[in-house]
Amino acid sequence: MTWAHVRRGLALAGLLVLLSLPFWVNAYILRIATGIFLWAGLACAWNIVGGYAGYISFGHSAFFGIGAYAAGILMGERFGLPFAGALVVGVAAAGVIAALIGWPTLRLRGAYFAIATWAFAEMVLQLANVLRITGGTAGLTLPPLLDERLFYFLMLGGAVLTYGLCFVLLERSRFGYRLKAIRDNEIAAETLGIDTTRVKLQAFVLSAAITAAFGAIYAYWITFINPTSVLAGDITDQMVVMALLGGLGHLWGPAIGAASMYLVNRLFWSLWGNTTAYIVVLGVVIALVVLFLPDGLVSLWPRTRRLQVLRALGPHPQQERPTVAEEQR
Amino acid sequence: MKPEDMRRETLHRDAFAGLSTRRQLIQRGLALGLSIPVINAALAACKGQATPSASSGASGPTFKLGVVTSLSGDDVFGGNLTRRGYDFWAETVNQRGGIEVGGTKYKVTMVYADDQSKPATGADAAERLITQEKVDAIFGPYTSGVTLAVAPICDKYKVPMLAGSAESPNVWKAKPAYTFGIIPSVDLTAGKALAVLVSQANPKPTSAAILGADEPFSKEAAQGFLAQAQQLGLTITKQEFVPPNADLTPIVSSFAATKPDIVAVGGHEEVLINFIKAAKSLNFLPKAIIMHYGVTEPDFARNLGPDAEGVFGLAVWTPDVSYRDDLFGSAKDYDTNSYNRWGSHPDYTEAACSASGEVFAAAVAKLGKKPPLSESDRAKLRDLIEQTSITTFYGPIAFETSGDHYHDNTKPTPVLVQIQKGAVVAVGPAEAKKAEMIYPLPAWNARS
Amino acid sequence: MTLFIQTIANGLLLGGLYVALAIGFALAFGVLDVVDFAVGQWVMLGGFIGYFLWKWTGIDPFLLLPAVFVLFGGAGYLLAPLIMRVRTSRYARPELMVLAFTFGIALIMRGGALTAWGFNTRSISTGLGGVTLQGGGIALPGLRVAAFGFALAAVGLFFLILYRTRFGLAVRAVAQNKQSARLMGIDVERVSALVYALYAGLTGMVGVLMAAIYSVTPEVGVRYTLFAFFVVVLAGMGSIAGVLIAGFVLGVLEALTAVYVSGTLTFLVVFAVLYLSLILFPQGLARRGRS
Repeated sequence: MTWAHVRRGLALAGLLVLLSLPFWVNAYILRIATGIFLWAGLACAWNIVGGYAGYISFGHSAFFGIGAYAAGILMGERFGLPFAGALVVGVAAAGVIAALIGWPTLRLRGAYFAIATWAFAEMVLQLANVLRITGGTAGLTLPPLLDERLFYFLMLGGAVLTYGLCFVLLERSRFGYRLKAIRDNEIAAETLGIDTTRVKLQAFVLSAAITAAFGAIYAYWITFINPTSVLAGDITDQMVVMALLGGLGHLWGPAIGAASMYLVNRLFWSLWGNTTAYIVVLGVVIALVVLFLPDGLVSLWPRTRRLQVLRALGPHPQQERPTVAEEQR
Repeated sequence: MKPEDMRRETLHRDAFAGLSTRRQLIQRGLALGLSIPVINAALAACKGQATPSASSGASGPTFKLGVVTSLSGDDVFGGNLTRRGYDFWAETVNQRGGIEVGGTKYKVTMVYADDQSKPATGADAAERLITQEKVDAIFGPYTSGVTLAVAPICDKYKVPMLAGSAESPNVWKAKPAYTFGIIPSVDLTAGKALAVLVSQANPKPTSAAILGADEPFSKEAAQGFLAQAQQLGLTITKQEFVPPNADLTPIVSSFAATKPDIVAVGGHEEVLINFIKAAKSLNFLPKAIIMHYGVTEPDFARNLGPDAEGVFGLAVWTPDVSYRDDLFGSAKDYDTNSYNRWGSHPDYTEAACSASGEVFAAAVAKLGKKPPLSESDRAKLRDLIEQTSITTFYGPIAFETSGDHYHDNTKPTPVLVQIQKGAVVAVGPAEAKKAEMIYPLPAWNARS
Repeated sequence: MTLFIQTIANGLLLGGLYVALAIGFALAFGVLDVVDFAVGQWVMLGGFIGYFLWKWTGIDPFLLLPAVFVLFGGAGYLLAPLIMRVRTSRYARPELMVLAFTFGIALIMRGGALTAWGFNTRSISTGLGGVTLQGGGIALPGLRVAAFGFALAAVGLFFLILYRTRFGLAVRAVAQNKQSARLMGIDVERVSALVYALYAGLTGMVGVLMAAIYSVTPEVGVRYTLFAFFVVVLAGMGSIAGVLIAGFVLGVLEALTAVYVSGTLTFLVVFAVLYLSLILFPQGLARRGRS
């Protein structure tokens, strides 16, 4: 019985526990679990572009909102589509929009890319405020379906699919190698013959599509959406911090980051929810993790040291890292 | 040594130089893990001091009430107003021994959850309060958005929700089965106040400009003003809706260029304060400025000082109204006692939230069941709430059972108020007024 | 026609505020390569500290500005080593780590303000608030003109320091290449800390101005961060002259949109223009890497 066998067994056991969860915990804990899977999936989606491609996007809330509003608009009285249809349309729309804006935006680097995506996200937010079809600032109400189990399984399924897809595409395929090559040194990757534009675009579209899918499920789950709840910057902030906390560029980093941050958030909120001190504590925790565990929580697991060695063998540690501004030249 | 060997040695050394040993990693992990209980304990200590709880530490069964409101986030200001209102009711009731049901008094325990000014968190909060804390009823959020997200959850678990602060008509258009609102929605009240202003002003105003912040409630308030202005035959010189964070000087200048007699503004406190400051800085002085509820917030007059003089607002409740009840006494009594308790004068939101408690108490007394309430008890409670017809220090309360304002309390009539010498004074209509209104506005620099 | 000129004037004055907001941040970014997520929170804190100082001492807020500068400069000087440590760490993507770290700092500041000072809106009144310069049918708010002057003075001062003093020379050296600067005998850590202190002090002062012109609550920080980032990026990261152009362009655009297009579309147009300019001019409006 090797370590690999034990690991596989544990994974299977874990999966069984998760599948059976709705049948032996109460609705509130189930809701928390649903939230964890939502954010784990979102953080993973962001990680595709942020951690694997090395492009820090601050605009993912736009795709989340597109998925959510697709569900909201199409399931409303005017169109009356079933959820599955709305989900497909939302994902497709996000993919198309990501392809359209990705091509010019991915030409930018570093902080420019980040701010450009942020500008795009704010644009979408304002658009949602202004258009009548989105209900403006008053928002939209979806047909209520308060089946906690269904949403739990939807989110769980979404997360499992996302991680499975990412595992196959990013860790076991040439696409993943190309992406990581772009992250480590884009110019070198170009010289190796990688079509960086196409690879980046593919990653961006994939990331956007997954985010939108979760957005649609979220809208259905909460039954009420408005621009500030599905398009605001704090959604992206959470995705980014969760991925960072967990470990950028690792497959499981986002999951760990999402789970721990969401749990800590909810824990503080339910224990001390009637004071604002928990915001401070959250900030302290983030600052401490950045100071002492910069590779994210994933680095606590001994096996990932292998990656650290590989990284250390990269650019000489004493060398000056190229500054963001220098990269622009 | 050959250069290649030196390089290899350097690489080898550097590769492991910066890495933490496993021991270091474990140490760090432990430190992080242990710090959490320490922070835990520290916060628990803070919590013990920081929040005066309204629960009386009573023994025996108590009515458990969940409060979902904005204790952080964008709406933290209003959220805390609602919390004070609910808390004050609970404390007052408990001081009397509790709610009397069938001869026995049962005290009230309040459980809080912060919705962080977001609908999703509000929904989680409600779910937690209902399924874990097993509350008998819920006191509702500050914003309509959160109310809209929580209402279906209350419907599903059959838990009545009393919202002391949902003012947007959208909440009632959705016809929520288990949610009830104490304040008449804003589209009803804005226009009525403007009508009073126009009828009393001398010389009669002929034009108006309307500004609304593009957010729920503010937008509807502005639209209420607009509709009534059109109905009254006023010339609408300008109407604009702006994002709540936008700088107001360009808009104010464009308003000033059209020289309106009245400017009506729909917005929350921050927007209202910014508008006055912008108008003053541009030396724009219409004959009257009318805003909505925000004018009655103490912060408005306190922050603006003499600049707030003469601004009109409206209130469906002021401490001067002549209503009274057995629990709080007169409106003036409520004002005094609340001021002694919290250090600031209550506004209409706080009063409405305290009144929500009275609606609950009245219905639960009629129900005749002792806590904790079962699901069927709560369903009957809802029916009893729907039939409420009481008069409180806040005014009359009865809920619509049909139409666009389903389950909203449309009974109170708004009073036109004005800031005079820093105080909110009722100036109309005739049967409610306590002082003559100042019209037109005094010049910005001619105020003390 | 008068309205048009008035709108342009309003826009320029608003642009002045944007410049003031972004100038410190541009310096910190250009020299230290630090994208400070907490810039808006410094502004918010500046507003609150200014408010309390004003309430306690009764001195006009404008006279309190130097005190605020010293206070915040000190705070920045103390915080700088931590940030620089994160920025120069050997782990992957230090610039992202700084972003996360300052995000944590921003949360601490916002939560701290909420806990300590509660939720009430605070507004500062100054004598200048009642001054309106009027002439030719145009009204210019005195306070905004003063803030405009402040912004220009700050920019001028920065240019002066950077190009006319030895300290400025050291700063520029550090901005170009920290390693070489260190080899030249420049105490890079001290210079970095001083630059960050300068940035914090300046941004704190801007907070006082904002509280006087508008009002301040613990939640305003995020909004200011947004605009500071946008102006600096539009300018071309690290370009101080570009901040002037970008700030004024944004201000005038916002004013013109609000008056001549539609109030509701104000921010939509601003952000759309911002996005498009970034796409079309990837290096920023000033088309230069750094000043």
